[in-house]
Amino acid sequence: MVEQTVTVKNRAGVHTRPAAMIVKLAAQFKSDISFIGENSMRINAKSIIGVMTLAAAQGTDLHIITNGADETDALSKMVALFDSGFGEPL
Amino acid sequence: MSLTNINIIKHDKVSVRELFDAPLTLVSMNDETGWDNVLQDENIHRPQLALTGFTDLFTSERLQMLGNTEMYYLQSLDEDRRVQAFINIADRSVPVIMLTNNHTLEPLLLKIATDHNIAVLQTDVETTKAIHLISEFLDDKFAVQGAVHGSFVDVYGVGVLFIGRSGIGKSEIALDLIERGHRLVADDIVMFTKKRDTVLMGTGTSLVKHFMEIRGLGIIDVRQMFGIRAIRFQKRLEIVVELEDWDPNKEYDRTGLDESMREIMGVNISSIKLPIFPGKNITVISEVIALNYLLKTYGYNAPKEFADKLKEEIERRAKYKHGSDEQRHVSYFQGDEE
Repeated sequence: MVEQTVTVKNRAGVHTRPAAMIVKLAAQFKSDISFIGENSMRINAKSIIGVMTLAAAQGTDLHIITNGADETDALSKMVALFDSGFGEPL
Repeated sequence: MSLTNINIIKHDKVSVRELFDAPLTLVSMNDETGWDNVLQDENIHRPQLALTGFTDLFTSERLQMLGNTEMYYLQSLDEDRRVQAFINIADRSVPVIMLTNNHTLEPLLLKIATDHNIAVLQTDVETTKAIHLISEFLDDKFAVQGAVHGSFVDVYGVGVLFIGRSGIGKSEIALDLIERGHRLVADDIVMFTKKRDTVLMGTGTSLVKHFMEIRGLGIIDVRQMFGIRAIRFQKRLEIVVELEDWDPNKEYDRTGLDESMREIMGVNISSIKLPIFPGKNITVISEVIALNYLLKTYGYNAPKEFADKLKEEIERRAKYKHGSDEQRHVSYFQGDEE
């Protein structure tokens, strides 16, 4: 199990389209990937409704936990996706 | 993609004989003269200028409709000029002349028409209405038709076409939907006719009707088995559901925000790719697809509503850092323990 905290960088936060990107990325890995948001609720990254429930605004810290065969790859790709700001204005 | 091998049929001629199927009463004035003449497009012409002698752009190959204006003009001329006026159009290999308002041609003119092998038909309908009825009829006759391999079902009034590889279970899904009270339009071969450039109307073939093949069972007759409530003859195509084997490496739509369309015979139709795997109830999903389509048609778009709510929530949180992070739908349980 590996984990890392990321900050939501894009201005609009994790709205529907970023959420769909996260879920699509997560679905490519065998590992379990989850987020822990500010209210310490654990969310499965492969569930679109779950990721949207985070309602993470810009500046929110999210804790990513990956667990499984490809956990390090999954974590680094997920962190990179957040760092890229989902291709949206920062 | 079974829709790529759609078999397009285009009718490029309609005979005068077929005009008698049109939804108005037609009487032939000169027996069966010219009944095998053909129309090559759906347009109708009123040969007013041609009667006066200006035949430069005279679209003589069309159905020529003579109404009050043309007939009163002819009657206003003396006999020689009247014959000349009529020959102006008769000379140009006109396939059919239609007289509206019960107008008749005097024997002399009728003979000219017969000599030129022109069918002369009469109707009691007035001109504007006759144009409308004949146009509709010819539009349909000349419409592009296509045969598609799939199952076409009316689900809650929405026309849903199931396509996918042979043996994936299209007929079984149709059967399951019938069992739940929906109506089969056609199975296996569905004939689509393009209407007014934006609508595709689907029906079965005249031979197959509501017969259907179920693997391992053979041929069944849905109409006999389930009765009249289980079938319908025609339905507008509204959604295409493409069934495919589940592929874990493929991406499927997760939000439904982007409506995907596919072009069939030049008409854009809402389209959904549905992966199937054991334990997935495609019938229920099909009902949900139809209901969701109805909701959208009536102005409620669930993905958009959800996305808007989410945006509001993100904005609220950005504004009041660490306000309430209540996640429950009901934020305070009063004594009510329902």
